[in-house]
Amino acid sequence: MKRVSTVLLAIAAGTAGMIVLLSYFLDLPYLSEASQWLKQTAVLLGAAALLVGLLNLVGVHLGKIGGQEKGWAYSALLVVMLAVTFTLGILFGIDNRSVAALFRYVQLPVESTLIALLAVSLTAAGYRLIARRAGVFNSIFMISAILFILGSIPWLILPGLAEPFGILRTWLAEVWAVGGARGLLLGVALGSITAGLRVLLAADRPYGD
Amino acid sequence: MSVLGGLGLFILVAFIFLMIALALVERRWPARFRPIPAFDALGGATERAVEAGERVHFSLGTGTLLGGEAGPALAGLSTLTRVADAATMSDRPPVVTAADGALVILAQDTIRSAYRRVSAIDRYHANSGRLVGATPLAYTAGIPAVLNDEDASVHLMLGRFGAEGALVADAGQRRQAFTLGGTQDVQSQALLYATAENPLIGEDVFAGGAYLNAGLFHRGSLRTQDLVRVLMVAGVLIATLLKTLGVIP
Repeated sequence: MKRVSTVLLAIAAGTAGMIVLLSYFLDLPYLSEASQWLKQTAVLLGAAALLVGLLNLVGVHLGKIGGQEKGWAYSALLVVMLAVTFTLGILFGIDNRSVAALFRYVQLPVESTLIALLAVSLTAAGYRLIARRAGVFNSIFMISAILFILGSIPWLILPGLAEPFGILRTWLAEVWAVGGARGLLLGVALGSITAGLRVLLAADRPYGD
Repeated sequence: MSVLGGLGLFILVAFIFLMIALALVERRWPARFRPIPAFDALGGATERAVEAGERVHFSLGTGTLLGGEAGPALAGLSTLTRVADAATMSDRPPVVTAADGALVILAQDTIRSAYRRVSAIDRYHANSGRLVGATPLAYTAGIPAVLNDEDASVHLMLGRFGAEGALVADAGQRRQAFTLGGTQDVQSQALLYATAENPLIGEDVFAGGAYLNAGLFHRGSLRTQDLVRVLMVAGVLIATLLKTLGVIP
């Protein structure tokens, strides 16, 4: 019985994927309508899955609060704030001033702080890279990064150096970096195609065996 | 059908044919792939975590299943299948996190399937797959707590990551966990190269299944990727030469 359901799931997933994929190549009205319907259904299911994910998030944190695990107070704060935000959003809509204020004065500053941390984190990572993984490619990586920084910063003390470093930065960015990035993008595109096709052909079954 | 549509359909059929044909060829003449140090080290790191009773954390990234960024997450799920199979022996199953509800459900299904394969479904726990945050930075903010609370010694990142991926990798490095990171975005790959101990470059993120022996089809599809890439590079070089010589306008 389990085997039958696995096969049926694989056929359903493969058929739905093929309909959407073929609609990009074939100008058939029925195929186009079916593809549109499938994509709209996927968006709806994605939204429903977000709710399931939120329930999962609440469940994990309620478990931590119930077990008085380390950091349970943070979990309690998360659950309370999630309940407040969710209730306000449902009652007054997402355009409401209170809901917008929560995003503007809580979420945005915290997220901006995280982005600012990135600079510190990357500096430390650069040091680790040289200290632990010294090698030809890592050295080239670090020298390129330093040259990029030197070509981007304002030279207040030795302004004459701004131009040569700027030219060097542009040359590195527009010749070497773009060339390398195109090669990487080619591989990534091919990898994405094969990963998708493996799911369509049921070689990969992320929906379970 | 338009000319471009016909060409696209031809390429699609050729791709599928090559994947199947090379998967069949693989049985008789297995390919030898270049070593990828990150995948070479992954098996040992997972085994050590299982033996030490520590947790494997698997991040499926901050992207969604819908849209063009699903590719690395799907590849991540196929790698998760192999990691989950290896970790089912542990008292502490892997914990998978994502920033998308659909990916969390698929991760739970993947882990449940691994337990079912070894007839130990009673050891499966739904909290093995978790939504940590619904936005990339909310997810990033939640990752250090997951790594610390779950005592993770292996931190795998395979999915869509933006700049925040550097912070997610850094959280693993600060715990001195085995940190492996791969994504599809080129700029984020550069950040992961600096922050993750075991970075994956370019299409390496899609090669996990083939390198972790997920099956002939994975190896066949990797050979297809390589073959098509060689053809495309040859096409670009020939076109450049013809244009330089003035043969084509």
